[in-house]
Amino acid sequence: MKAESVISCKNIQKKYGNFELNIDSIDFPKGFATALIGENGAGKTTLLEMIAGIKQIHNGDITYFGNYTEKDRENNPYVKEHIGYTGTDKHYFLPHWTLKQTKEIQSVLFDNFDGEKYDRILDELAVTNDSSSDKAKKVSDLSDGNRIKLMLAGVLARDTKLLLMDEPASPLDPLMREKLCSMLREYIASSEDNDKSVIFSTHNISDMENVTDYAIIIENGTVVEQGFVEELKEKYVYVRGEKKDEDAAKHILYDLTSNAYGFEGLCLSENIDKLAGMDIETTIPTLSQLSVGIMRAYTKLKSHC
Amino acid sequence: MKISQNSGVPIYQQIADYFRGEILEERIGQEEYLPSIRGLAKELKISVITTIKAYEQLESEGLVTAVQGKGYYVNAQDTEMLKEQHIRKVEDALLDAIKFAKIAKMSDSELVNTLKTLQKLDN
Repeated sequence: MKAESVISCKNIQKKYGNFELNIDSIDFPKGFATALIGENGAGKTTLLEMIAGIKQIHNGDITYFGNYTEKDRENNPYVKEHIGYTGTDKHYFLPHWTLKQTKEIQSVLFDNFDGEKYDRILDELAVTNDSSSDKAKKVSDLSDGNRIKLMLAGVLARDTKLLLMDEPASPLDPLMREKLCSMLREYIASSEDNDKSVIFSTHNISDMENVTDYAIIIENGTVVEQGFVEELKEKYVYVRGEKKDEDAAKHILYDLTSNAYGFEGLCLSENIDKLAGMDIETTIPTLSQLSVGIMRAYTKLKSHC
Repeated sequence: MKISQNSGVPIYQQIADYFRGEILEERIGQEEYLPSIRGLAKELKISVITTIKAYEQLESEGLVTAVQGKGYYVNAQDTEMLKEQHIRKVEDALLDAIKFAKIAKMSDSELVNTLKTLQKLDN
């Protein structure tokens, strides 16, 4: 499937210490939700921070909304106004700010910040409950989950076209994760022109599967797989088999884990014929099975080198 | 529409099946638009890409047509042509059955009786 891109990254390179981020090309599709998936330290946060402009120095180019450069992001209010970012940093809002102050500061920072909407979302997410004493609460008094809700309310109270979210689901309880998914789907559906996009990183792949359209799997600073989820589900098959076939299957499967009774793992669909004659069961992989299999394949590769 | 996350039938297939039924039984009329992709994804709590895949399947079956920027509308269903298509599918399936019956060395009457039994079971 082809889609216009909301953000294009070309030949991105950044080095610090032993870590190197090396991205040839990513086109984040416009009008869709994209998940960045990968192990801790794979480079997801770095990439999101580069796009958001928090980390600025790197090689290569990032293009915004089809035709704006990184310079435009700093100088052209259109780009700044239309991107909402939520990070994992506890001090995104200063700890001593009250909720009331977070609202005042965001209305100074962003022309399109809707203070009433902000209050409404905070009430809806039960961060506040309509009493004025709540508004005097300090950021430092909030739980991790409520701090995420505060950032979420902040970006949703603006008229943006792109949300960049670093691990939004991690500190949330199951009910709130479900709510987050609904809010993201609502956000994407809220434009007649289909031009609202979300890019988020996550370890909670199963919880986020039903709001993931495009998946990018990053390992050791490089993209090891990317594509629309429905296309990846055709590219790979999930296979379960008997112990007796394990040795033969090992050479064909993309990734294989073994237990006392048999094996299971991902197989490229184009290789499935090579398993002919084996006693296997095949299913369409879930996004979680896909991601874990691909991540494991690359982690393993490293240990072989 | 009932969507089951773990019925074994892919979600896009469940959505395509539902709308195929709605179209063929004319509950969604000719030239009417299917619900917007992102709106349906929101309602059903599924991803946008899954909804697109369902609609693309209906498009490949000739039931709907995509219009850039507007969505998918229901084609005029040529009932004669649809019937024709289905007859062709029946013929293909029967040809397969005949082929396998030969391999299994089934007699013609055994094959016909199997068909009759299966019809009874289905009814």
